[in-house]
Amino acid sequence: MIVLDKVSKRYGDFQVLTDCSTQVARSEVVVVCGPSGSGKSTLIKTVNGLEPFQGGTITVDGIDVGDPKTDLTRLRARIGMVFQNFELFPHMSVVQNIRVAQIKVLKRPEAEAHQKALALLDRVGLGEQAEKFPSQLSGGQQQRVAIARALAMDPIAMLFDEPTSALDPEMINEVLDVMQELAAEGMTMMVVTHEMGFARRVADRVIFMDEGRIVEDAETDQFFGTPRSDRAQLFLSKILHH
Amino acid sequence: MNYNWDWSILVSEPYMGWLLQGFGWTIAVSSAAWLIAFTLGSTLGIMRTTESRLLRWIGTGYVELFRNVPLLVQFFLWFFVFPEILPDDASRWVKREMPLPAFTTAVVALGLYTASRVCEQVRSGIEAIGPGQRAAGKAMGFSEPQIYRYVLLPVGYRIIIPPLTSEFLTVFKNSSLALTIGVIELTAATRQIEEYTFQGFEAFTAATVIYSVITFAVMGAMRVVERRTRVPGTVALGAK
Ligand SMILES: Nc1ncnc2c1ncn2[C@@H]1O[C@H](COP(=O)(O)OP(=O)(O)OP(=O)(O)O)[C@@H](O)[C@H]1O
Ligand SMILES: [Mg+2]
Repeated sequence: MIVLDKVSKRYGDFQVLTDCSTQVARSEVVVVCGPSGSGKSTLIKTVNGLEPFQGGTITVDGIDVGDPKTDLTRLRARIGMVFQNFELFPHMSVVQNIRVAQIKVLKRPEAEAHQKALALLDRVGLGEQAEKFPSQLSGGQQQRVAIARALAMDPIAMLFDEPTSALDPEMINEVLDVMQELAAEGMTMMVVTHEMGFARRVADRVIFMDEGRIVEDAETDQFFGTPRSDRAQLFLSKILHH
Repeated sequence: MNYNWDWSILVSEPYMGWLLQGFGWTIAVSSAAWLIAFTLGSTLGIMRTTESRLLRWIGTGYVELFRNVPLLVQFFLWFFVFPEILPDDASRWVKREMPLPAFTTAVVALGLYTASRVCEQVRSGIEAIGPGQRAAGKAMGFSEPQIYRYVLLPVGYRIIIPPLTSEFLTVFKNSSLALTIGVIELTAATRQIEEYTFQGFEAFTAATVIYSVITFAVMGAMRVVERRTRVPGTVALGAK
């Protein structure tokens, strides 16, 4: 489904990504972890063309992301993305947030988009909040709306960039639960997160990044059992013992 | 001081008529100029925040040019110099046939100048939103125009309602410069009354009151706009 082949990216002289290669198969859940500044966000944003890259190739569902002829707008409409800071549209009610791209991008009839929005809100446990505005919701609720908003586009894959890092601890699980359900339903997912419990429970594979390189790319059990690289071991020991 | 106050001149003809006509021209120059300033300024402000280097460059160039030349100089350039540098036909049309030459020139000069200020407000409003919203819009599959239409502008304009209000009020004050090229707007009418009646204090008091009324009316209207567009659950989007 998603194939990265030797992806490299520079900001001026600064090499952010170096020869990153990996794949995410249909219905697979891949967790990306690594220290701050290692290039996780940048990597995940290259997948839907939010970040341009200079070297290598990325294909999503057979479409070449780096090809200048590719209609990125159309591709992005088919890939859901969830951000650390939710990025709901503050001037729209919750239901409008979920409706707007369905209507303006997918050209769905309004009534259909509305029904779909309400159904998705139910699904993420926010059926009662449809008419509220983002600022009237808790962080956990906002993030669940953001997930519903992405799902409304019937995405072929979902990208998550630290979806729980901006949340108070007591709200993290409500979001992870929604993501776990999504994974169980067979959604293809690429998730940047430091929630190693989630990775253990849900991920099929774990990618560990350091200084712009994919240092480790292993089955979940293997990754948590015996990571091959010292760096990954150090990272895990730090993150698991506090 | 030996001044004979006579407030009755303000309600006697032809002076009352002059005042009203002056008021009318002030409103006409200001609103027409604002129409230009708001549309052109918004376009330029948007251009300065796009991903296209060329568009950004055009926007920046415009602002640097129009904001740094004193407005009075711009009035004179448009009125006296501009018609001379046009090709013959256009030059003749501007000088002989263009309807209401002084008024039209004032509207254009004031509109183009104010556009550079509106541009900067719109740009700052959009920039205040932060890159995450643009990324979210993109990730939803919005095209760049759609990102502006549905994501950035509705929030950006809400943020800049207060500074835009004050730009709008400045247009009324700056419209008095139109008298230098012969538009008998409110300030010019007031001076005319003074010259004819020597009752300058009354006339300028009247003008001051009228300008103040305009200010209060605009501020009142903008407060209504602000209330109507306020997003439920927020004090002001600008505070985010
Ligand atoms: N626009 C930019 N210009 C220059 N350098 C950048 C830019 N964006 C990111 N970087 C750099 O690229 C590197 C990777 O950033 P990235 O955000 O991908 O890291 P990350 O792994 O997601 O980190 P974090 O865990 O803090 O989110 C960092 O060193 C960062 O400083
Ligand atoms: Mg990051």
